[in-house]
Amino acid sequence: MAISKSKTIITVAKKELTDHMRDKRTTLLVLLLSVAMGPLVLMGIGYFISSIEQKFEKKEVFVQGEANSPELLNFMQRQDMTIKTPKPEFRALIKEGKHDPVLVIPENFSQKLVEGDAKVELVYDDTRQDAGNAAISVLRGVMRGFNQEVASQRLTARGVSTAILRPVEVENTNLGTAAQRAAALLFIIPWITLIGCVTGCTSMAVDLGAGERERGSLEPLLMTPIAREALVLGKALAVSLYAFGIAILTMIGFALTLKFGNVPGIGGVISLSFQQYVVFFAMLATFAPAMALLQILLSTYGRTFKEGQTYAAYAIQVIALLPAVAMLGQFKDAAWQLFVPVLAQLMVITRILRGETVEVMHYLIPAAINITIFVACVVLIGRLLKQEKIIFGRA
Amino acid sequence: MITVRNLHKTFKVADKTVTAVDDVSFVAPSSAITGLLGPNGAGKTTSIRMIGSLVEIGGGSVTVDGIDVKQNPDGAREKCGILTDARGLYTRLTARENIRYYAELRGIETAKSEATIARFVDWLDMSDIMDRRTEGFSQGERMKVAIVRSLVHEPSTVILDEPTNGLDVMTTRALRGLIQRLKAEGRTVMFSSHIMQEVAALCDTIIIIAKGRITAEGTTDALLEMSGKDNLEDAFVKLAGIEDEQHTLKAA
Repeated sequence: MAISKSKTIITVAKKELTDHMRDKRTTLLVLLLSVAMGPLVLMGIGYFISSIEQKFEKKEVFVQGEANSPELLNFMQRQDMTIKTPKPEFRALIKEGKHDPVLVIPENFSQKLVEGDAKVELVYDDTRQDAGNAAISVLRGVMRGFNQEVASQRLTARGVSTAILRPVEVENTNLGTAAQRAAALLFIIPWITLIGCVTGCTSMAVDLGAGERERGSLEPLLMTPIAREALVLGKALAVSLYAFGIAILTMIGFALTLKFGNVPGIGGVISLSFQQYVVFFAMLATFAPAMALLQILLSTYGRTFKEGQTYAAYAIQVIALLPAVAMLGQFKDAAWQLFVPVLAQLMVITRILRGETVEVMHYLIPAAINITIFVACVVLIGRLLKQEKIIFGRA
Repeated sequence: MITVRNLHKTFKVADKTVTAVDDVSFVAPSSAITGLLGPNGAGKTTSIRMIGSLVEIGGGSVTVDGIDVKQNPDGAREKCGILTDARGLYTRLTARENIRYYAELRGIETAKSEATIARFVDWLDMSDIMDRRTEGFSQGERMKVAIVRSLVHEPSTVILDEPTNGLDVMTTRALRGLIQRLKAEGRTVMFSSHIMQEVAALCDTIIIIAKGRITAEGTTDALLEMSGKDNLEDAFVKLAGIEDEQHTLKAA
């Protein structure tokens, strides 16, 4: 009795989902992490952004040797700055990233200032990308302002116009919106979501590939008169639905946090419309299944679950590292990224988060690439399942 | 009925071509049990896999109930119920779910498959394990589930590759009973084994295969007569050509 391909696909998918869902510990962990990912990431970013803002607002500066310059001290106080004394071992602590930058005022500063030979030292570590960067900007601003004030006073005393200090007047017009400034950090959202989608379905994908080989269930399965492609498509459907589930849960986590979370630093800055969520999901809808299938394909080469997992891990590594490469490469929104999975999703989702327009091609090109990967994986897995070394090669 | 004509298969191992099955021909009739006896690496499993169209037929032909395996592999698969050494079960599914999955994949109506399952469950006395997840099943329990899974579509031809390997006495007895009942129902039954008493007790015809070739074929009595030995084990050793090898080894 021949079974139709569509019925085979549904039967296989139903079985695979039931089978995987019964692994309660793994499923619960994956699903909970998917929901929790949004709040956790947004809270982390929010805390980071708000700590920077607070540093700017509070105007807290660490000054060593404040008694050495009443003039500088007076200037800072007029700027409503709070002057704090650094810890004695601040140099070592700055190196470890545990202390904000410090302005060191040497002895005899006041005298040297009169003589025109004054120096201050700004101690910081520019290899650390943390909130300390904000404090450096504040300190540099203070010194710029102080220099300007002293120079102006001296020129005025000599009867020279202070305009000589500013041959070019610079007017600051920042075109970046609040959302864009926050989005500079919010690239982490798509990054984490993309990795979550891929790693979330790894256990299922590997079980469908290498798992079948290891437990010796592939050979009896292939002795039934079902079409190989239908078997692969059934597995693909199961893992895709699972990947969709992870993507939806991750997005729900982000949506709820953005809507009700009142996260400091982000609240009110980023808010996505329903349409934007649809585009966000559309980006994941083709990406997640393609990456899941890629993992099944790679894992099928493994004779054991462990071996399959190792192969899949390499794919995950590339997926996780690509955004870092893009960041270091400063690709901005280069169009060629639309043809590279991961980079395309990262670019388009970040555009959505920045509140920028997403054109149809921004969605269509990555979707077409993902569908091509999906179809290629189905064909290749189908071919692998005809190879004797795959069917019989067991550990 | 299985008809095998001039079956041939070679494999490439490293740079060498190894002949696994070499010009094998036999007929396994319906309502009879045909035993496939041979030392390890003789070509039994490869032959079984070619009959089940899991391995591409290198040369010759195989028909199952008149269906050419090469031309219509799916048709042959519908006729065959094959149990090889790959007997993996899905451990998070119950025994019943494992079997039902195969029934569904073969497009059998639920009512029909449930009746078939109930019959085999009764024969193999496995009702107490049917609704348990197969994780932690003993080898015998796993074997019973795997056998019912391969029979759920009521195949006319049943091929079992060393089904009693590693089983306890009670499970082996249950299996022997099943094999005899399958024969009584008019099916073609073929099985391979290393246990001589089992083969002697069950098989109507024994085919001895060694180094990919059939070296002898006949009833137990015929093989004893052919070899001039008084027990099947000695007859097998002689007819499979293992005796000559042992002599050569001793002489060396």
